[in-house]
Formats: sequence, C-alpha cells, structure tokens
Amino acid sequence: MDEIVGLAPSGSMGSGYNLEAFKRGIAAQPHFIGQDAGSTDMGPYYHGTGATFLPLATYRHDLAIMLRAARAQRIPLLVGSALTSGANGSLAQAVEIVRALAREDGLSFRMAVISAEIDKSDLKRRLAKEPFESIGPGPLTPETIERCGPIVAQMGVEPFMKALDAGAEVIIAGRACDDVIFAALPMLKGFDAGLSLHCGKILECAGLSAVPTDLAEPLLGRVRRDHFEVEPCHPDHRCTTVSVAGHSLYERGDPCLQPGPGGMNDLTNAVFTQVDARRVQVSGSRFVPDARYRVKLEGAEKLGYRSIVLVGIRDPFMIEALDPLFADVRERAEARFGMAAKGVQLNFSVYGKNAVMGALEPVTKVDPHEVGLLIDAVAPEQDLATAVAMFVRGTLQHASYPGIRNTAGNMAYPFSPFGLPLGPAYRFAVYHLMPLEDACECFPMTLEEVRN
Amino acid sequence: MNAIAAGGMNEATPQRAQTLLDLAKVIRSKNAGPFEVTFDIMFDDPAKYERVKRSGVINAARIAELYRVRRDDVLVCRAYDPAVAFKVTIRRQVGSGDIEDRDVYGCQQHVPLMALEVAA
Repeated sequence: MDEIVGLAPSGSMGSGYNLEAFKRGIAAQPHFIGQDAGSTDMGPYYHGTGATFLPLATYRHDLAIMLRAARAQRIPLLVGSALTSGANGSLAQAVEIVRALAREDGLSFRMAVISAEIDKSDLKRRLAKEPFESIGPGPLTPETIERCGPIVAQMGVEPFMKALDAGAEVIIAGRACDDVIFAALPMLKGFDAGLSLHCGKILECAGLSAVPTDLAEPLLGRVRRDHFEVEPCHPDHRCTTVSVAGHSLYERGDPCLQPGPGGMNDLTNAVFTQVDARRVQVSGSRFVPDARYRVKLEGAEKLGYRSIVLVGIRDPFMIEALDPLFADVRERAEARFGMAAKGVQLNFSVYGKNAVMGALEPVTKVDPHEVGLLIDAVAPEQDLATAVAMFVRGTLQHASYPGIRNTAGNMAYPFSPFGLPLGPAYRFAVYHLMPLEDACECFPMTLEEVRN
Repeated sequence: MNAIAAGGMNEATPQRAQTLLDLAKVIRSKNAGPFEVTFDIMFDDPAKYERVKRSGVINAARIAELYRVRRDDVLVCRAYDPAVAFKVTIRRQVGSGDIEDRDVYGCQQHVPLMALEVAA
C-alpha cells in the first residue's frame, strides 16, 4: 500500500456539505471518511452543560450521508468529538442517531464507541498523586472539579487505531484531538506520524485550507511514504502552498511547534510544493514524542445564571452620559440587591463604542449616532439575575442626564419580552495536562455489532 | 478608516506611510484554545512580505504596546516563511466566554494590526 486516502466532508459536522463535491471525493476511492464534530471554540457553555451546539437533526443529516457512503464503499467512518464537547451524554446521542440510521437503511457493521469523559472520582485520585500542569486557568483543585460539568480528555490517535485494529467499521468517539481522527488509519498502516498528523490538521477543517475558503467543502488527503498531498473535491476550488501553509497556522499558537496528545508535531522543516493548479504536497513534518504521554483535560465550571436586556440608544445626550449613568445605576443596584455579598456580577457592553475589544480597544474617541447596550447580570439564581438586569433597565429607562430633552424613556427595545433569562453561565476552569501510563487508559471502547 | 487607529490617520499627510492594511492579504484573529488569541498576517506577494519582515515592525514589544498587554503576554511573534506569513499569539486577558468576554471566537481582535505602519 503506497498511500492512504482520507476524505473530510466538512470542517464541522452539522454544517452540511456540497453533495456534488462529496460524491467526487467518494469517486476518488478514499480508504476512510473522517469527521470532526466538536470544539471548545463556541465557549464554555457547551462543555459546562454537555449540550450540543446544533439541533440533533442537523447532525443526523450529515451522519446519514457519511454513513451511507462509507457502507456502500466498505470503508471506515471515523467521527471524533461527538457531539460538540464530546462528553458521554452527547456521545450517546450521536450513537443513537447512528443506530437509528442503520435501522432505517438496513445497514450492518461493527461499531466502536470510545468515551472521553473522565470520572470525577478517578480524576481526583489522579490529581492527588501529582498536580497537573495548567495551560491557561489556575491550578486544578477537587473543588473546581466539583463545580464543573462533565470533564473530558482529548484522546490521541491510539484509541482510534485500537478500534480500527479491532475491525471497527464505524467509530464514534467522544472528545478527540482533531487531527488524530485522520491520522489513525495511515499510522495503523505504518505511515509516518508527523505527516499523518499534519495531513489530519489540514483535513480537519476540510475546505478551510482551500481557495475559495469554505468550511463546508470536502477535502481529500493522501498520506504517502515521504509526503502527503491535499486536494479540494470541488473542481473549481484549489489548494495553494500559501493556503495550505496558512492553514497550518490556523487556531494554533505557534506555527512550527504544535503540541498534541503524547507529543509535538514539528513543522519547522515542512516544505509545501505546488503539484498542479489544485494540489499541494507537504513533506518534512516530524512528530516528536514526549518523554511522558499527557492528554489535555477540558471542563467548564458553573458561575451562576445569566439574564440580559438588549436595547438601542439614539439620543445623543444619553449616549454622552452613559458612563456616569452606569456608575450611578450600579450603586443603586448594589443598595437594592446587595450584589457584592450575593456574588452578583453586573456588566455593561456598549456596542458602537468598545464592546467588542474591551480593554484591548485602542480607539478611545468615538462619536456614534446610535449605540447598542447589553445589560448582563450573572447571579446565583436565575430570578435574581433577571431582577437585577430588569432593575438596571428600569432605572436607566427613566434616568435624567445633562441636556435631556426627552423625558418619555431613554432606550429602544428590539422586542418584547425585555428581560431574557439565558440559563447557566460557565467559565473554562479545566484546561490542564494529565499524564497517562497508557494512551488508551481513560478512553474505554465498546464494540457493538449493528445488525439489520 | 478612523475606526482603525486611535487617531492621526485622517490628518492630511501628503506622504502617508504604508500600513499592514495596504500590504497584507489576510489579517485575522482567532482563539488558539480558550486562553490565547492568535493572529495570522498573510501576504499574496512575497515582496511585500519581505518588506514587512525587513522593517521589523512586527515585534513583541510593538504588539504588547498595540494591545496594551504585558510583554510576557505576547507568547509568539515570528515570521513563518512557508506560509509567507507572520504569527502572533497573545494570552487572552479574559478566557473565551468568561463573564466579561465579548468575543467568544476571538475573531474580531485583529483590527489594530491593520494600522501598523511599515517603513518604506
């Protein structure tokens, strides 16, 4: 076997595909279909609650297309980080969708389900032996673990290889490092880890590394002995050395040294070569194993409940007076609710001024003719958060300020109701490296013979 | 373009220096995990890339000043020849989606880079 061909239908499951391009990808006779289905990108809510980012029907749509194609071709389908956080609740939802699709289509296959959620008691026992290195938040403590929703670890390539080795034809895995989904089959067949993982890094976002850039466009990757090659399935799209090298940078802190489970992929000597108008070859990527195998833990702690009010302000005198008004209303809210003692956090964001960049905003003088105001309260109970946000709203609505002409009301409401309870609020509190003795030890796999 | 910089760009300067906005094809920001924001500055013309590289304008001290973060919070700041690109990564002052964060993806933090002036 001189190459392993992988097909990445899209960069994010549920985003839908270009079906014609997907068929063209299948016609290239790939050895597997790989699909990333999760991320921390959408913020801590999804890790905290374990909720999926999109409605289940959208995942079902994409899974149906991939499953039918994979079974028709008799090639493995590998899905990682199902669904969104890759914790057990959403993993079970993904597995249930696959079973239902198999029943409907009369498909039979061996399915491996790999869990990535870490039992909290087990985690505390491990933590008691040695502290875990943080790669962002404060030190990990048993108390933090308790405040978190499900805690997951990003699995490496080994659990996927183990599942393939066990004859799995469909692999549905919880949280996984994105690139390993695509590196598993090449590495199982003895291809180089650095090339396989680098190819996986390009494939996991599919058409995002082609021109024009489109996350929902399928991409083909061919891992060979001394290089890999990528090619978009859409005949009018193309990969260029700059688009592919550029994508090697995407969402990674360092362009050359990219840490992952069990080691570092070193792209310092990677060479990108244009083969023809649409294909790029890459060589020189090198995987350097760590002395000790570690996986990244992810978890989000609950901070309370959030309620918001969203309004627009058009009056120039009110816009001018916002900062002193905020100070005044904050004082009144403190007097009314005892916010500090109860742990209520109140924030104002003025869209049109510095809401997007906050402290990083270099523009200090602005003269907007209108602004949007987000009143954001986080409190230990939902009702208290709503009460604070609505009290602030009511106070600002009829507040007086220098130059006021309009005494009928200060803010325009885009809709009714005004006060919106958003449910629990979270913060990423677990983002630490946990050492393992065995790369598979906290990623238990179950094999299931699906028969229809 | 007065929304880009703190000021000065609207002044009538007959020989305005070129900025990254004039020279780069892509200037983007994005989370690299929940605790870092990373910036990619990419070029479609190697000559323009080389010019920016020679100018030395993209350096950690300048980035720290531009974003008003500590020098230690600039984690990566370097050129990457294979992609004809510069890579800059800073520590997020507020984690993605934390209470005071207002850019969960971190994808709207790139604008101050546009106004960086590049010596001729």
